Amino acid sequence: MRVLAIVPAYNEARNLPAVLEALRHSAPQCDVAVVDDGSTDATAEVARGHGATVLSSPFNLGIGGAIQTGYLWARDHGYDAAVQIDGDGQHDPSSIPGALAPLREARADLVVGSRFLEAGGFRSTPLRRSGIRYLAWLLWLRCGARVTDPTSGFRAAGRNAIEYFAAHYPSDYPEPESIALATRRGLRVVEVPVRMEPRLHGESSISAWGAVYYFVKVTLALLLLPVAPTRKAPGAGSGDGIR
Amino acid sequence: MSRAPLIPLELQAVAIAVLLGLLLWVIRLLRRDRLSLRDSLLWLLSTGTALGLMAFPQGLRRIADLLGVEVASNALFALGFIYVLLNLLSVTIALSASAVRTRRLAQECALLRGEIEELRASLHDGSRSGEKT
Repeated sequence: MRVLAIVPAYNEARNLPAVLEALRHSAPQCDVAVVDDGSTDATAEVARGHGATVLSSPFNLGIGGAIQTGYLWARDHGYDAAVQIDGDGQHDPSSIPGALAPLREARADLVVGSRFLEAGGFRSTPLRRSGIRYLAWLLWLRCGARVTDPTSGFRAAGRNAIEYFAAHYPSDYPEPESIALATRRGLRVVEVPVRMEPRLHGESSISAWGAVYYFVKVTLALLLLPVAPTRKAPGAGSGDGIR
Repeated sequence: MSRAPLIPLELQAVAIAVLLGLLLWVIRLLRRDRLSLRDSLLWLLSTGTALGLMAFPQGLRRIADLLGVEVASNALFALGFIYVLLNLLSVTIALSASAVRTRRLAQECALLRGEIEELRASLHDGSRSGEKT
């Protein structure tokens, strides 16, 4: 199975070396694509120095656009699976084999790493945890998806999910919405336990007021999902990427 | 005409002048290629309609009666609002479509950069192994 690790990174030159080292150590069979999302620091050079493929966007697209770039690369290069790992050191690459297992056994199309299935690791503040529970509930209500950690950015996608996400991926705060889209598409979503760490350096991208905005926006996104057979968005070509 | 003057004559003159000016401006932009026909279609149609209503206010009276508005000029204001809102919404739609396209272009650009880098690396490797043998 050819596996691509997608590492979105925006000004993560300080965190990236540890992430890429850990990736090489615990998942040596993975190819690594770092999506440099318009960074102004040495993110691209650092990634190149570690032997990763670097996909540099000319400007900052936001996490959704960056992840989708990774899926486009995975689709165009015929990967069987793609793993999303944040470039900030929150995700432990040693969970990758566990996340790939359901894909290998062909019992899932999308695997979500959940920090709540097993004890230990970083689990965010109680307030945010209740927010996450609310989103999980909303997801279940809206499209019957059963997940415990809808905000997790640790994902493994099989062929079908790669194809779908390359063509349709939400732009900002994409994690819960992408689960909803995948579920509605009929993709099988499965959760596996993972351990998460607090960020190594720098602040989380979501501040206190940002959290309020986040929940309002994600709630709206989930309530107003695109019309069922997703119409082709302008400019989102289906199968004609570069090869 | 059954009721008092529909719109004061001065107001009518000013409105016609303004709308005519706007219409001519849009046409000018169009002919100088600074506005595409597709994007200006709604402007042309809505401004033309507004101009027609202003030139023949009897139509305006009928609309006002239909809406149950006593004073015709109030109906005019309401229609004016709708006119602006519709044009604004069409602009936002165009903007969103354009943002999606821009995103796709940036992604394509990132993919091409990655592709070039890999090609360059494989060329480099090829020439090195060629030297060895």
